[in-house]
Amino acid sequence: MDNESWACSSVEKDLTRVVTKLEQLHENAAADIGDIATQMSELVEVLSRAEQLVTTLNSSTQVSQDDPMGDGVSMQVETEPTAPQRLTERQMESIRKAIGRCNELVQKLSTEHRDLHGSISKIGKAIDRNFSADFTSTMRVDVLQDEENLMLLNKAIAKHYCRQGMENVARSLIHECKMPAEHAQDVFESEREFADIYGMWVKIQKRDLTDALKWAKTYSQQLSDRHSLIEFRLHRMRFMQLVSYGLESQREAICYARLNFKKFAVRYEHEIANLMASFIYLPSGLENSPYKHFLGQEMWTELSFIFLKDACQLLGISKNSALSVVVNAGCTALPALLNIKQVMQSRQVLGMWNGCDELPIEIDLQPEFRFHSIFACPILRQQTSEDNPPKKLTCGHVISNDALHKLSNGHILKCPYCPVEQNAEEAVRIYF
Amino acid sequence: MSEIKALEHATLKVPYEMLNKRFRSAQKIIDREVDQVTNVSRQVEKALDAEEAPILAEVTKLVDNVAQKLQVLKRKAEESINDELSVTQICKRKLEHLKGITPPNSVTGDLWQGSVDQWKRIRLDRLVIEHLLRMGYYETAEELAAKSDVRHLTNLDIFQTSREVEDDLASHSTTKCVLWCIDNKSKLRKINSTIEFSLRVQEFIELVRQNQRFEAVKHSRRYFPAYEKTQLNEICHVMALLAYPSDAQADHYRKYMDPQRWQKLVLDFRHENYRLFQLSSTSVFSAAVQAGLSALKTPHCYAQTCRNLNCPVCQEDLNRIALKLPYSHCVQSRLICRVTGLPLNEHNQPMMLPNGQIFGQMALQDITKEDGTVTCPVTNTKFSNPKVEKVFVM
Repeated sequence: MDNESWACSSVEKDLTRVVTKLEQLHENAAADIGDIATQMSELVEVLSRAEQLVTTLNSSTQVSQDDPMGDGVSMQVETEPTAPQRLTERQMESIRKAIGRCNELVQKLSTEHRDLHGSISKIGKAIDRNFSADFTSTMRVDVLQDEENLMLLNKAIAKHYCRQGMENVARSLIHECKMPAEHAQDVFESEREFADIYGMWVKIQKRDLTDALKWAKTYSQQLSDRHSLIEFRLHRMRFMQLVSYGLESQREAICYARLNFKKFAVRYEHEIANLMASFIYLPSGLENSPYKHFLGQEMWTELSFIFLKDACQLLGISKNSALSVVVNAGCTALPALLNIKQVMQSRQVLGMWNGCDELPIEIDLQPEFRFHSIFACPILRQQTSEDNPPKKLTCGHVISNDALHKLSNGHILKCPYCPVEQNAEEAVRIYF
Repeated sequence: MSEIKALEHATLKVPYEMLNKRFRSAQKIIDREVDQVTNVSRQVEKALDAEEAPILAEVTKLVDNVAQKLQVLKRKAEESINDELSVTQICKRKLEHLKGITPPNSVTGDLWQGSVDQWKRIRLDRLVIEHLLRMGYYETAEELAAKSDVRHLTNLDIFQTSREVEDDLASHSTTKCVLWCIDNKSKLRKINSTIEFSLRVQEFIELVRQNQRFEAVKHSRRYFPAYEKTQLNEICHVMALLAYPSDAQADHYRKYMDPQRWQKLVLDFRHENYRLFQLSSTSVFSAAVQAGLSALKTPHCYAQTCRNLNCPVCQEDLNRIALKLPYSHCVQSRLICRVTGLPLNEHNQPMMLPNGQIFGQMALQDITKEDGTVTCPVTNTKFSNPKVEKVFVM
């Protein structure tokens, strides 16, 4: 089991323990306390009946009656018409017993509930042990304390939600943070194009393919030029959707297949044959057929993902908003920064953390998060810059200017990677 | 360290603190009701232990009392335990969500990517909501939570209470905040909070402002002695206000009478509320934004000619935010063709034009015309049949 699920399940284990105990306690409270409460009420009933009996009968000297408590204690009441009724020894005995039991049970409830404290604080400890509370230490400067920057961040948030088709959220935010009008304007003007695609993406997840199919038809040629599968996938899904409606839509499904599968006949011959065979299973229902995976939500999630990816690629827009790229990159970076910070702390080289204009380590981001070429000199192991630009040697190898000076002996330079000896002056500045 | 271990402490800790609080109040309620029961049952015992056998009617009444108190105990115990159980459900749901970052092993490829994507989308919504709440943009937070259906994964509820208190403070009233202090008394004492003292000081100042000096003195007698040990200095300063006329211009006086103090109280309260739930003072969102900007920031983002529109840091607004943040660190070259956006490697060799500009082999086809002229897409220089050299990057 990997790290993450382990952290979660160790908290979960403690949590489940508490839940079980609470449920038990709940049951006990209902049963035990309920029991003793009814017992008490019955006792009251018996007592008051005894009282009544005596006052009404008045003449008889001894009254006995059945004991509804069923514990064999029968109530015997001696009558003294003039004086108030007094309890007999046996009555007192049974009351004592009931009260004793009652005290015992309520104390038990209180103690048992108090005993839960240990188990509950175990959850807290498990959380502290498995999750790190301190991510703030990774920041050296907090640029988000600046009002102006915060407003810019608000703008990025508003843009992000505008993109996701949640214009109302963007509007509320603009209203609540009192965003200047020119910023607000900008929010709504950008991201138009993506919002449409996003709308279709949401619809696919809700199993509505109409808009997406229309879109795919418009861009059919470009999509097939790019070897995108999405148009066929959409048709396939629509077809299976029709099939899954059962026998009554059988006709419609066949018509749909005739109309739409034609142009894919060459490329997807096998797949189409496969799809058409699903009609065999219609009478017994698709749920019990090899096609049942078409009914699950996963297929729709996957389809929507491919759609979003291909559509964005085609239109040349970014699949992810700037905000989501930044936050997701940050979420990748934070654990690494936290780790290195801990190491530096333990080696007592924390001073290195401050006053440096580069992060202390390289963050391994996904390729889709890389937007610029970075050339790190293979000799000096540092990024090149305006002051120390990359240079191409005559043999084609690239090193930084500083490395070139360090390696050259007068004008003569031997390439560190191949046997070529050359004039250091002949190296040329290059631009990535 | 993994992402959720580093970032999700608060997600679980807040409901845990809620559970802890519910537990303590449940214990209090149960103990109180148990006391009630034992009190009346003691009366019964006392009656039974009397020298003379007790009167039937009286005992009946007492026993009836016990029965009723037991019913109350049963009801209240069930209610409070149910309360606790409902908080454990919140914890559970959050745990379930966190586990979603690693989809089951059986799924692969696009489906896996799709579900991770979905999970990250939800995480972003969660983080944004928390940020909005901390900024005090409650309406937006509510709306977003409803729209993206993540309410059960956020801490909206605790912020709901704090919103009421903040609104109350903003309209210059301490009532709700004082109630909040009482509600969380033991915990606040544990974290050495002085928020209640600040409230009492503010109340005192308001009395002075209204020129009810006698009332102010009474107020100070009632509330200040409790803070004698820790806040004596401050108390003296505040008491000095009594000596100034209400139109005094002295700095000392003005400092305390400034209505801005209310604003500060709002912030203090917010801060104490975070501490109470062990939330850190900055949100995960802002930490992530800053770390993310740093991780993406390269010198290219600040060079006019090298901007890439898909790069977030190259976009105007984020570019300004990132200005003071550190650059990303890189010991291994990673080269990307500026024309195609594809990585430069053995399948897409880097090639140099005579002006020193490097592009991928695949891009060369795009920028070369049929007659052999090549136009450099960066400098717009034209070369006819140029010598294009291979470049080797280690």
